[in-house]
Amino acid sequence: MTVRNHITTATIAGSLAAAIAMLSAPAWGAPKPPQPTMDKCYGISLKGQNDCAAGAGTTCAGTSKVDYQGDAWKYVAKGTCDAMRTPKGMGSLMPIKS
Amino acid sequence: MFGPIQNTFALALLDPQRPVPGALVSHTASPPAKRFAVYRNNVVVGLVNALAKRFPAVQRIVGEEFFAAMARVFVIENPPRSPVLMFYGDDFLDFIASFEPAAELPYLADVARLEAARTRAYHAAEAKPLDPAILQSLDKAALGEIRIVPHPSAEIVRSKFPIVTIWAMNAGEIELAPIEDWSGEDALVVRPALEVEVRALPAGGAAFLSALFAGAPLAAAAGTALGESADFDLAANLAGLIGAGAVTKVFLANLQKDEMP
Repeated sequence: MTVRNHITTATIAGSLAAAIAMLSAPAWGAPKPPQPTMDKCYGISLKGQNDCAAGAGTTCAGTSKVDYQGDAWKYVAKGTCDAMRTPKGMGSLMPIKS
Repeated sequence: MFGPIQNTFALALLDPQRPVPGALVSHTASPPAKRFAVYRNNVVVGLVNALAKRFPAVQRIVGEEFFAAMARVFVIENPPRSPVLMFYGDDFLDFIASFEPAAELPYLADVARLEAARTRAYHAAEAKPLDPAILQSLDKAALGEIRIVPHPSAEIVRSKFPIVTIWAMNAGEIELAPIEDWSGEDALVVRPALEVEVRALPAGGAAFLSALFAGAPLAAAAGTALGESADFDLAANLAGLIGAGAVTKVFLANLQKDEMP
Protein backbone atom coordinates (compact mmCIF):
# COMPACT_ATOMS: atom_id res chain seq x y z
CA MET A 1 0.00 0.00 0.00
CA THR A 2 1.36 3.38 -0.88
CA VAL A 3 1.04 6.33 1.41
CA ARG A 4 -0.36 9.37 -0.29
CA ASN A 5 1.39 12.57 0.51
CA HIS A 6 -1.41 14.75 1.59
CA ILE A 7 -0.84 18.46 1.28
CA THR A 8 -3.32 20.59 3.11
CA THR A 9 -4.74 23.76 1.67
CA ALA A 10 -3.31 25.60 4.65
CA THR A 11 0.17 24.33 3.78
CA ILE A 12 -0.23 25.49 0.21
CA ALA A 13 -1.57 28.89 1.24
CA GLY A 14 1.34 29.32 3.65
CA SER A 15 3.86 28.23 1.03
CA LEU A 16 2.39 30.53 -1.56
CA ALA A 17 2.52 33.47 0.84
CA ALA A 18 6.14 32.63 1.60
CA ALA A 19 6.87 32.33 -2.11
CA ILE A 20 5.36 35.74 -2.78
CA ALA A 21 7.49 37.17 0.02
CA MET A 22 10.59 35.57 -1.51
CA LEU A 23 9.75 36.94 -4.92
CA SER A 24 9.38 40.45 -3.63
CA ALA A 25 12.40 40.35 -1.33
CA PRO A 26 15.12 42.66 -2.59
CA ALA A 27 17.76 39.95 -2.14
CA TRP A 28 16.11 37.87 -4.84
CA GLY A 29 16.97 40.30 -7.57
CA ALA A 30 20.55 40.87 -6.48
CA PRO A 31 23.11 39.31 -8.77
CA LYS A 32 24.83 36.28 -7.32
CA PRO A 33 27.84 34.46 -8.64
CA PRO A 34 26.71 31.31 -10.41
CA GLN A 35 27.67 28.34 -8.26
CA PRO A 36 25.33 25.56 -9.20
CA THR A 37 27.11 22.94 -7.11
CA MET A 38 27.14 25.11 -4.02
CA ASP A 39 23.61 26.28 -4.17
CA LYS A 40 21.23 24.00 -5.97
CA CYS A 41 18.29 26.24 -6.48
CA TYR A 42 16.25 28.11 -9.04
CA GLY A 43 17.86 31.36 -7.99
CA ILE A 44 20.80 30.81 -10.23
CA SER A 45 20.24 31.58 -13.83
CA LEU A 46 22.88 30.44 -16.25
CA LYS A 47 22.59 31.71 -19.75
CA GLY A 48 25.42 30.34 -21.81
CA GLN A 49 25.80 31.61 -25.29
CA ASN A 50 22.97 31.92 -27.70
CA ASP A 51 25.08 30.78 -30.53
CA CYS A 52 22.74 28.12 -31.77
CA ALA A 53 22.37 29.98 -35.01
CA ALA A 54 19.40 28.96 -37.09
CA GLY A 55 21.40 29.04 -40.25
CA ALA A 56 24.25 26.85 -39.14
CA GLY A 57 25.35 24.38 -41.73
CA THR A 58 23.69 26.20 -44.58
CA THR A 59 26.90 27.92 -45.57
CA CYS A 60 29.41 26.42 -47.91
CA ALA A 61 31.66 25.84 -44.93
CA GLY A 62 33.33 22.73 -46.20
CA THR A 63 36.69 22.74 -47.82
CA SER A 64 37.45 21.23 -51.15
CA LYS A 65 39.74 18.85 -49.33
CA VAL A 66 38.30 15.38 -49.42
CA ASP A 67 38.71 14.47 -45.79
CA TYR A 68 35.79 12.15 -45.60
CA GLN A 69 36.98 8.64 -45.00
CA GLY A 70 35.38 5.48 -43.80
CA ASP A 71 38.21 4.84 -41.34
CA ALA A 72 37.93 2.71 -38.27
CA TRP A 73 37.45 4.80 -35.14
CA LYS A 74 40.75 6.28 -34.00
CA TYR A 75 39.92 9.41 -32.05
CA VAL A 76 40.41 10.04 -28.34
CA ALA A 77 38.42 12.57 -26.35
CA LYS A 78 40.85 15.38 -25.72
CA GLY A 79 38.62 18.17 -24.54
CA THR A 80 37.82 19.37 -21.06
CA CYS A 81 36.61 15.97 -19.83
CA ASP A 82 39.94 15.30 -18.08
CA ALA A 83 39.85 18.61 -16.20
CA MET A 84 36.40 17.85 -14.79
CA ARG A 85 37.21 14.40 -13.51
CA THR A 86 36.09 13.75 -10.01
CA PRO A 87 39.08 13.33 -7.70
CA LYS A 88 37.34 10.46 -5.89
CA GLY A 89 36.88 8.41 -9.01
CA MET A 90 40.56 8.33 -10.04
CA GLY A 91 39.88 8.36 -13.71
CA SER A 92 36.51 6.75 -13.41
CA LEU A 93 33.76 9.04 -14.54
CA MET A 94 31.07 6.80 -13.21
CA PRO A 95 29.08 8.30 -10.36
CA ILE A 96 29.73 7.03 -6.87
CA LYS A 97 26.05 6.36 -6.55
CA SER A 98 23.33 6.94 -9.05
CA MET B 1 11.30 8.74 -63.61
CA PHE B 2 13.94 10.66 -61.63
CA GLY B 3 13.52 8.40 -58.59
CA PRO B 4 16.30 5.93 -59.37
CA ILE B 5 18.72 8.71 -60.31
CA GLN B 6 17.98 10.61 -57.13
CA ASN B 7 18.34 7.47 -55.03
CA THR B 8 21.70 6.64 -56.56
CA PHE B 9 22.81 10.22 -56.06
CA ALA B 10 21.68 10.37 -52.43
CA LEU B 11 23.26 7.04 -51.53
CA ALA B 12 26.55 7.94 -53.20
CA LEU B 13 26.55 11.29 -51.42
CA LEU B 14 26.88 9.70 -47.99
CA ASP B 15 28.86 6.61 -48.93
CA PRO B 16 32.24 7.22 -50.56
CA GLN B 17 32.56 3.51 -51.32
CA ARG B 18 29.90 3.95 -53.96
CA PRO B 19 30.87 5.18 -57.40
CA VAL B 20 30.08 8.66 -58.64
CA PRO B 21 26.56 8.53 -60.08
CA GLY B 22 26.89 7.77 -63.76
CA ALA B 23 24.14 10.17 -64.76
CA LEU B 24 26.22 13.15 -63.62
CA VAL B 25 27.67 15.24 -66.39
CA SER B 26 29.66 18.44 -66.64
CA HIS B 27 31.31 20.38 -69.43
CA THR B 28 34.77 19.16 -68.39
CA ALA B 29 34.40 15.56 -67.44
CA SER B 30 31.77 12.92 -67.18
CA PRO B 31 31.32 11.73 -64.53
CA PRO B 32 32.86 14.71 -62.68
CA ALA B 33 34.46 12.69 -59.87
CA LYS B 34 36.40 15.51 -58.27
CA ARG B 35 33.48 17.89 -58.14
CA PHE B 36 31.25 15.23 -56.70
CA ALA B 37 33.89 14.57 -54.02
CA VAL B 38 33.85 18.27 -53.08
CA TYR B 39 30.09 18.23 -52.83
CA ARG B 40 30.11 14.99 -50.90
CA ASN B 41 32.59 16.48 -48.47
CA ASN B 42 30.72 19.75 -48.05
CA VAL B 43 27.44 18.04 -47.28
CA VAL B 44 29.03 16.13 -44.42
CA VAL B 45 31.16 19.02 -43.17
CA GLY B 46 28.17 21.37 -43.25
CA LEU B 47 26.03 18.99 -41.18
CA VAL B 48 28.87 18.30 -38.75
CA ASN B 49 29.25 22.07 -38.30
CA ALA B 50 25.51 22.43 -37.71
CA LEU B 51 25.80 19.87 -34.89
CA ALA B 52 28.86 21.65 -33.47
CA LYS B 53 26.85 24.89 -33.37
CA ARG B 54 24.01 23.21 -31.57
CA PHE B 55 26.14 21.21 -29.13
CA PRO B 56 29.06 23.51 -28.25
CA ALA B 57 29.49 22.17 -24.70
CA VAL B 58 29.62 18.58 -25.93
CA GLN B 59 32.22 19.66 -28.45
CA ARG B 60 34.27 21.36 -25.77
CA ILE B 61 34.11 18.31 -23.49
CA VAL B 62 35.42 15.85 -26.06
CA GLY B 63 37.49 18.23 -28.17
CA GLU B 64 36.99 19.31 -31.77
CA GLU B 65 38.63 16.30 -33.36
CA PHE B 66 36.63 13.72 -31.43
CA PHE B 67 33.42 15.70 -31.90
CA ALA B 68 33.87 16.05 -35.66
CA ALA B 69 34.61 12.35 -36.03
CA MET B 70 31.67 11.35 -33.83
CA ALA B 71 29.30 13.79 -35.56
CA ARG B 72 30.42 12.49 -38.92
CA VAL B 73 29.41 8.95 -38.04
CA PHE B 74 26.02 10.29 -36.90
CA VAL B 75 25.53 12.40 -40.03
CA ILE B 76 26.21 9.47 -42.35
CA GLU B 77 23.74 7.28 -40.46
CA ASN B 78 21.16 10.01 -39.84
CA PRO B 79 20.96 12.52 -42.66
CA PRO B 80 18.42 15.32 -42.05
CA ARG B 81 14.81 14.46 -42.69
CA SER B 82 13.79 18.10 -42.78
CA PRO B 83 15.33 21.10 -44.52
CA VAL B 84 15.03 23.00 -41.21
CA LEU B 85 18.49 22.56 -39.75
CA MET B 86 17.86 24.31 -36.44
CA PHE B 87 16.44 21.11 -34.98
CA TYR B 88 18.82 18.75 -36.72
CA GLY B 89 20.33 16.47 -34.11
CA ASP B 90 17.34 15.92 -31.85
CA ASP B 91 18.37 12.25 -31.91
CA PHE B 92 22.09 12.99 -31.66
CA LEU B 93 21.85 12.38 -27.90
CA ASP B 94 20.54 8.85 -28.37
CA PHE B 95 23.36 8.27 -30.78
CA ILE B 96 25.91 9.56 -28.24
CA ALA B 97 24.42 7.31 -25.55
CA SER B 98 25.00 4.25 -27.70
CA PHE B 99 28.27 5.39 -29.26
CA GLU B 100 30.90 3.11 -27.86
CA PRO B 101 33.96 5.41 -28.08
CA ALA B 102 32.04 7.91 -25.87
CA ALA B 103 31.10 5.27 -23.29
CA GLU B 104 33.70 6.46 -20.79
CA LEU B 105 31.86 9.80 -20.64
CA PRO B 106 28.46 8.51 -19.49
CA TYR B 107 27.22 12.05 -18.82
CA LEU B 108 27.83 13.23 -22.37
CA ALA B 109 24.41 12.27 -23.74
CA ASP B 110 22.68 14.14 -20.90
CA VAL B 111 24.73 17.28 -21.58
CA ALA B 112 23.64 16.95 -25.21
CA ARG B 113 20.05 16.62 -24.02
CA LEU B 114 20.40 19.88 -22.09
CA GLU B 115 21.86 21.62 -25.13
CA ALA B 116 19.09 20.30 -27.39
CA ALA B 117 16.50 21.65 -24.92
CA ARG B 118 18.27 25.02 -25.02
CA THR B 119 17.94 25.23 -28.81
CA ARG B 120 14.26 24.33 -28.64
CA ALA B 121 13.77 27.01 -25.97
CA TYR B 122 15.61 29.50 -28.14
CA HIS B 123 13.21 28.92 -31.01
CA ALA B 124 10.05 28.48 -28.90
CA ALA B 125 7.17 30.94 -29.09
CA GLU B 126 7.39 34.19 -27.16
CA ALA B 127 5.24 34.47 -24.05
CA LYS B 128 5.03 36.83 -21.14
CA PRO B 129 5.75 35.21 -17.75
CA LEU B 130 3.09 35.39 -15.05
CA ASP B 131 2.96 38.55 -12.98
CA PRO B 132 3.55 37.35 -9.37
CA ALA B 133 1.04 39.93 -8.12
CA ILE B 134 -1.74 37.74 -9.54
CA LEU B 135 -0.93 35.09 -6.94
CA GLN B 136 -2.19 37.35 -4.18
CA SER B 137 -5.62 37.57 -5.71
CA LEU B 138 -6.20 33.80 -5.78
CA ASP B 139 -8.95 32.19 -3.73
CA LYS B 140 -7.11 30.58 -0.83
CA ALA B 141 -9.60 27.75 -0.44
CA ALA B 142 -9.02 26.60 -4.01
CA LEU B 143 -5.23 26.90 -4.08
CA GLY B 144 -4.65 23.14 -4.15
CA GLU B 145 -6.66 22.82 -7.36
CA ILE B 146 -4.79 25.47 -9.26
CA ARG B 147 -3.10 24.42 -12.47
CA ILE B 148 -0.52 26.25 -14.50
CA VAL B 149 0.22 26.95 -18.14
CA PRO B 150 3.95 26.44 -18.63
CA HIS B 151 5.99 28.87 -20.66
CA PRO B 152 6.28 27.51 -24.25
CA SER B 153 10.05 27.39 -23.91
CA ALA B 154 10.13 25.58 -20.56
CA GLU B 155 11.61 22.09 -20.39
CA ILE B 156 12.90 19.87 -17.61
CA VAL B 157 16.06 17.85 -18.15
CA ARG B 158 16.78 15.28 -15.47
CA SER B 159 20.09 13.54 -15.02
CA LYS B 160 21.91 11.32 -12.58
CA PHE B 161 25.03 13.30 -13.44
CA PRO B 162 25.87 16.91 -12.47
CA ILE B 163 24.92 18.14 -15.94
CA VAL B 164 24.19 21.73 -14.99
CA THR B 165 27.66 22.10 -13.49
CA ILE B 166 29.28 20.27 -16.41
CA TRP B 167 27.36 22.35 -18.93
CA ALA B 168 28.08 25.62 -17.09
CA MET B 169 31.81 24.84 -17.02
CA ASN B 170 31.79 24.25 -20.74
CA ALA B 171 29.55 27.17 -21.67
CA GLY B 172 31.87 29.69 -20.02
CA GLU B 173 29.58 30.30 -17.04
CA ILE B 174 31.86 28.94 -14.35
CA GLU B 175 35.48 27.93 -14.23
CA LEU B 176 36.59 24.53 -15.28
CA ALA B 177 37.52 22.45 -12.24
CA PRO B 178 37.31 18.95 -10.85
CA ILE B 179 33.76 18.24 -9.73
CA GLU B 180 33.73 17.22 -6.08
CA ASP B 181 30.04 16.49 -5.80
CA TRP B 182 29.22 14.01 -8.50
CA SER B 183 25.53 13.71 -7.67
CA GLY B 184 22.81 14.20 -10.21
CA GLU B 185 21.36 17.54 -11.22
CA ASP B 186 18.03 18.35 -12.81
CA ALA B 187 17.71 21.41 -14.98
CA LEU B 188 14.97 23.83 -15.85
CA VAL B 189 15.51 25.36 -19.28
CA VAL B 190 13.41 28.41 -20.06
CA ARG B 191 13.56 31.56 -22.15
CA PRO B 192 11.37 34.09 -20.31
CA ALA B 193 12.65 36.97 -22.43
CA LEU B 194 15.52 37.10 -24.91
CA GLU B 195 18.02 34.73 -23.38
CA VAL B 196 17.77 31.02 -22.75
CA GLU B 197 18.37 30.31 -19.08
CA VAL B 198 19.38 27.12 -17.33
CA ARG B 199 18.64 26.62 -13.65
CA ALA B 200 19.57 23.73 -11.40
CA LEU B 201 16.49 22.43 -9.61
CA PRO B 202 16.41 21.68 -5.89
CA ALA B 203 15.32 18.35 -4.38
CA GLY B 204 11.95 17.27 -5.75
CA GLY B 205 11.84 20.26 -8.07
CA ALA B 206 11.91 18.27 -11.29
CA ALA B 207 9.10 15.98 -10.12
CA PHE B 208 7.06 19.00 -9.04
CA LEU B 209 7.53 20.86 -12.30
CA SER B 210 7.05 17.80 -14.49
CA ALA B 211 3.72 17.13 -12.76
CA LEU B 212 2.60 20.75 -13.07
CA PHE B 213 3.69 20.94 -16.72
CA ALA B 214 1.73 17.76 -17.39
CA GLY B 215 -1.41 19.45 -16.05
CA ALA B 216 -1.57 18.20 -12.47
CA PRO B 217 -3.10 20.55 -9.89
CA LEU B 218 -0.81 22.19 -7.35
CA ALA B 219 -1.61 19.93 -4.37
CA ALA B 220 -1.12 16.74 -6.39
CA ALA B 221 2.14 18.01 -7.90
CA ALA B 222 3.44 18.93 -4.45
CA GLY B 223 2.45 15.46 -3.21
CA THR B 224 4.34 13.82 -6.08
CA ALA B 225 7.41 15.92 -5.31
CA LEU B 226 7.26 15.07 -1.60
CA GLY B 227 6.94 11.42 -2.52
CA GLU B 228 10.19 11.66 -4.44
CA SER B 229 12.09 13.77 -1.95
CA ALA B 230 11.33 14.43 1.70
CA ASP B 231 13.42 17.61 1.36
CA PHE B 232 10.99 19.14 -1.12
CA ASP B 233 10.34 22.77 -0.15
CA LEU B 234 7.05 23.96 -1.64
CA ALA B 235 7.54 27.66 -0.92
CA ALA B 236 11.04 27.75 -2.42
CA ASN B 237 9.87 25.82 -5.46
CA LEU B 238 6.89 28.07 -6.04
CA ALA B 239 9.10 31.12 -5.74
CA GLY B 240 11.65 29.55 -8.09
CA LEU B 241 9.09 28.48 -10.64
CA ILE B 242 7.44 31.90 -10.80
CA GLY B 243 10.73 33.78 -10.47
CA ALA B 244 12.24 31.85 -13.37
CA GLY B 245 9.36 32.91 -15.59
CA ALA B 246 8.42 29.30 -16.32
CA VAL B 247 4.70 29.95 -15.84
CA THR B 248 2.53 32.15 -18.02
CA LYS B 249 -0.88 31.56 -16.46
CA VAL B 250 -2.61 29.97 -13.49
CA PHE B 251 -6.18 28.75 -13.62
CA LEU B 252 -8.78 26.55 -11.95
CA ALA B 253 -9.72 23.58 -14.09
CA ASN B 254 -13.43 23.82 -13.30
CA LEU B 255 -13.49 27.54 -13.95
CA GLN B 256 -11.85 27.78 -17.34
CA LYS B 257 -13.63 31.02 -18.09
CA ASP B 258 -12.15 32.65 -15.03
CA GLU B 259 -8.71 32.00 -16.34
CA MET B 260 -6.27 34.51 -14.98
CA PRO B 261 -4.97 36.97 -17.51
